[in-house]
Amino acid sequence: MGCSVSCGHGYERPSLRRATDHLRLATWAPPLVAFGVVLLVWELLATHERFLLPTLGQVGADLTGHLGTLLAYGGATLAEALPGVAISYAVALLLAVGMDQSRLLTRAVLPLAVALNVSPLLAIAPTLTLFLGLGRAPKIVMTAIITFFPALINALAGLRSADPKALEVFQSLSASRWETLWRLQLPASLPYLFAAARVVVPLSVVGAAIAEMVAQGSSSGLGVFIEQQSADAQLGYAWAGIVTLAVFGLVLTALIVVVEDRVLRWRGFKQ
Amino acid sequence: MAISTEPTGAEPPAGGEPYPRPTASRPAGPKPTAMPAVPEPAQAQDWIVLSGVTKRFPNVGTPALDEVDLAIPRGSFFTVIGPSGAGKSTLLRVLAGLAKPDAGEVFIFGEPPAEASRRKHLGWVPQSPALLPWRSVLDNVRLPLQVNRRAPCQPRDPERILALLGLGETLDRLPAQLSGGMRQRVAIARAFAFAPAVLLMDEPFGALDEMTREHVAHLLLELWQAERPTVVFVTHSVGEAVVLSDQVSVMGKGKLSEPVDIALPRPRPEGIEDTEAFHGLQRELRARLREAFAAPGD
Ligand SMILES: Nc1ncnc2c1ncn2[C@@H]1O[C@H](COP(=O)(O)OP(=O)(O)O)[C@@H](O)[C@H]1O
Ligand SMILES: [Mg+2]
Repeated sequence: MGCSVSCGHGYERPSLRRATDHLRLATWAPPLVAFGVVLLVWELLATHERFLLPTLGQVGADLTGHLGTLLAYGGATLAEALPGVAISYAVALLLAVGMDQSRLLTRAVLPLAVALNVSPLLAIAPTLTLFLGLGRAPKIVMTAIITFFPALINALAGLRSADPKALEVFQSLSASRWETLWRLQLPASLPYLFAAARVVVPLSVVGAAIAEMVAQGSSSGLGVFIEQQSADAQLGYAWAGIVTLAVFGLVLTALIVVVEDRVLRWRGFKQ
Repeated sequence: MAISTEPTGAEPPAGGEPYPRPTASRPAGPKPTAMPAVPEPAQAQDWIVLSGVTKRFPNVGTPALDEVDLAIPRGSFFTVIGPSGAGKSTLLRVLAGLAKPDAGEVFIFGEPPAEASRRKHLGWVPQSPALLPWRSVLDNVRLPLQVNRRAPCQPRDPERILALLGLGETLDRLPAQLSGGMRQRVAIARAFAFAPAVLLMDEPFGALDEMTREHVAHLLLELWQAERPTVVFVTHSVGEAVVLSDQVSVMGKGKLSEPVDIALPRPRPEGIEDTEAFHGLQRELRARLREAFAAPGD
């Protein structure tokens, strides 16, 4: 499979052309300008309101000064986020397949999923820690809960996105439900599954950090770090933690986008 | 994977091989009629029969199919032309078992459509090619051989069918890398690949430009001539109907007219569109179409 990505069907040319796109000024200038404006406003605010925001220089210094700690805490957060999102993604996909096959299951489960989606994590946290203890488990579960709904909705939309005319071809052949699912609906849902991952994976990092903040007895992770530093009025450290969290989310998103682009191109979804 | 031109070990269903009689220039046997003396049960094996078929959609005044009677003999090429909304697609969907009629009966060589579908006797070619974008041309054509494998069928060699349709060089390409005309040809190859007894084609060339249309129509004609399935074909194009068909029926407001015989000799070469006989038949069909447009109640 990995081989077919690179030695595939004459895609080298378009992807080369696209690769050079990344070097063009027009591609990079707008986001750079936007970032620049935000940082400028930040710096202005920080110099006037010392107790509201740390200056960029201070955040930078704290970030480099504590890089080892921050990365270790980030690793701890990832160790909750990634299992959490993996579980929720897998359960969402399985459930979506079931719901696609059965109206009854859809009617039974969808309200439950909505309820779970709107219930405040803060309220569930104590119960979860009571059941699952003070370790990683409750945070993994909370991350799974936070990411579950968007994963489910996207998976459902994906399974229902199959070309109705292709569906007719399957029906005219009396293909079984399983054959239709396996050979039509699941492959057709690939773009939706990637879209879901793009939303849900970065969300899981934020989710895990929030879970660390609201669950009692947390001792590691960026959520804990940010919360403690804020409580101690160490604004530079707190923001260094937030920046680290954002960078983790950005890197994961970028990874997914690259894989998505490759796979969708290879599978003929994109030219 | 049993992809070969050899017959599979399984017995063909009662009624014999899917395509009997590759005879000379005309299909043997009786011609289609719009109002059949319903064929004798003994002959039912060799007819597609609709009797009194009515289909209504909720909140639509006129029925999409209004007591349609029709009998098409095995091996012939039957075309329905008519204005949009006449009920042509509904007719095909009823034949394919994709829609259930409210009244009347449908038999495909003695079987109800659902049974014909279960036995893989029906090839469906929708208006859009409906290829799977993640499958290569060859794998798209193989699809019918890969699903519902309990149904006995005598698959043709997909590569040979594709070559006959001028797609021999594109086996490994993805649909996105093909032109519209090529994609439509792949859809036709997919329908021929499992040698169904009946091909149901709903405006398969509707999205193609005039030149491509004529070309693909002639390729279809050659393939049909070689394989001789029974075809029920829907088109907007009078010329296409004349070139391809043994008989053409005009549909308007859910009603099917008495079919017109297309008494052009077969095989029909490219260029037949320029003959006087062709133009005469075209004129006759146009006149019938005008009647259908101006049907009472308009
Ligand atoms: N799924 C549907 N729901 C409601 N009305 C339909 C549906 N399919 C077809 N119709 C109606 O039935 C009539 C015949 O449609 P159709 O068979 O698609 O015509 P044609 O293929 O000749 O253009 C039209 O009036 C159309 O609006
Ligand atoms: Mg139609």
